[in-house]
Amino acid sequence: MHLAQQQHTFEPKIFAFVCTWCTYAGADLAGTSRMQYPSNVRVLKFPCTGRIDPVFILKAFQQGADGVLVSGCHPGDCHYIAGNFHARRRFAVFRKLLEFVGVDLNRLQFSWVSAAEGGKWVEVVTDLTEKVRNMGPMTEFKELAMEEQWSGAINTPELKEAYNAI
Amino acid sequence: MTSTLIETSIYAAISESIQAEAKRILSDGQVSTIVGYAAARRKGSAQPIVITDASDAQKLIFTPACVNNLAVYLTKAKKDIPKKGKIGIVVKGCDMKALTGLMGESQLKREELYLIGVPCAGVLASTFAPSQELTDESLAPKCTECDAHLPTGCDFVPTETPLTPELEKKYAVEIARLEALTPAERWAYWKEQFAKCIKCYACRQVCPFCFCEQCLCDRNKPQMVETTPRPAGNTAWHIVRAMHLAGRCAGCAECERVCPMDIPLNLLNRKMAKELKELYDHEAGFEVTEKGPLTMFNEKDDQSFIK
Repeated sequence: MHLAQQQHTFEPKIFAFVCTWCTYAGADLAGTSRMQYPSNVRVLKFPCTGRIDPVFILKAFQQGADGVLVSGCHPGDCHYIAGNFHARRRFAVFRKLLEFVGVDLNRLQFSWVSAAEGGKWVEVVTDLTEKVRNMGPMTEFKELAMEEQWSGAINTPELKEAYNAI
Repeated sequence: MTSTLIETSIYAAISESIQAEAKRILSDGQVSTIVGYAAARRKGSAQPIVITDASDAQKLIFTPACVNNLAVYLTKAKKDIPKKGKIGIVVKGCDMKALTGLMGESQLKREELYLIGVPCAGVLASTFAPSQELTDESLAPKCTECDAHLPTGCDFVPTETPLTPELEKKYAVEIARLEALTPAERWAYWKEQFAKCIKCYACRQVCPFCFCEQCLCDRNKPQMVETTPRPAGNTAWHIVRAMHLAGRCAGCAECERVCPMDIPLNLLNRKMAKELKELYDHEAGFEVTEKGPLTMFNEKDDQSFIK
């Protein structure tokens, strides 16, 4: 039996970068167990969290993500022995960089979800979706991408006049 | 407030020692080449020079205008420098940190280098004319935070000791100011800074650590970072740059010096260095280590940010 769909004014786009061995299998388990979770999440499968370059997260935000989830195996469970340990350091540092540049870290979630934790996957995705929904759309990167302003900004009256005369 | 003069009278004696040492090692064949500084045409200015003949040794100088980090000539331009024999190089403390990092990353071999260290009280900021005298205002911002006035691990260091007054740490102050702002205010600040970028990639060219044969940001299949000088690509470029230098950059601040648009690039690098110090107690450039903080891990690393 399906629960009645609640109508929202804003449906956030969530990109989930997941590792194929744990979280992807966990998400599969959630599916085969018929658990319900928001369809806002787009799952992207990677061999390992260690393969997830911070630049992917940037790219996701630029391409219109309102929230990003990075999820993989619990420490010690990595299929490649230590990929998630490396990823953990990298993302700890990347978070600090994004924070310094002025990105709201509430839009970026990291989690460990094993292949047996279908329930946890549902919980993580639901939490992030609701959090991002309440925060509204991520506009910062989209505005940057939309800006057609080249480095020579037309920010003086003389330049504006010349520009309008073209 | 009047500016305090930085004592640079020892630089003349240092220049003489460098010349004598360069002459000695070139003539007895210890090194085939020396990379150093020579006077340039504008009054007081200096430029990098590569000498291979002992008679050119008297061209070498050290002045407050010797701002370049010569380590970059050993990575990217390495192919142009004759391979036979050792290469001598004149290094300030900050340049030495870059060399230390490069040795750790197997880009250079210590035994192939002859390091002439320079006791350095500081160099001029890029915004001041090379003939200016060195004061706490005209001093390069990186020099206010310098912890390596005397380079360590060199083959030769002149005996002079620089007088180094305690100065306000310019980057630390600016980082603290930005950290106190709200994320939206910080975004506005960086958006304005990055919008200035013209993607000349001078920061990449001058960086001793940007030695990749092909940069991720030049690739177009897949294109990770937009290459046009538009705000989106600029922002991504500078974030990627800071991330790739995290744990490696020791703060020679060359990127900031060469930036034609005066983007405070070293601010990002110093912030990352600060975070790595706090998170993993790692400071770049002090010892040759096989692995940096981001290429190793500890099972007990903090994971409070992970659900």
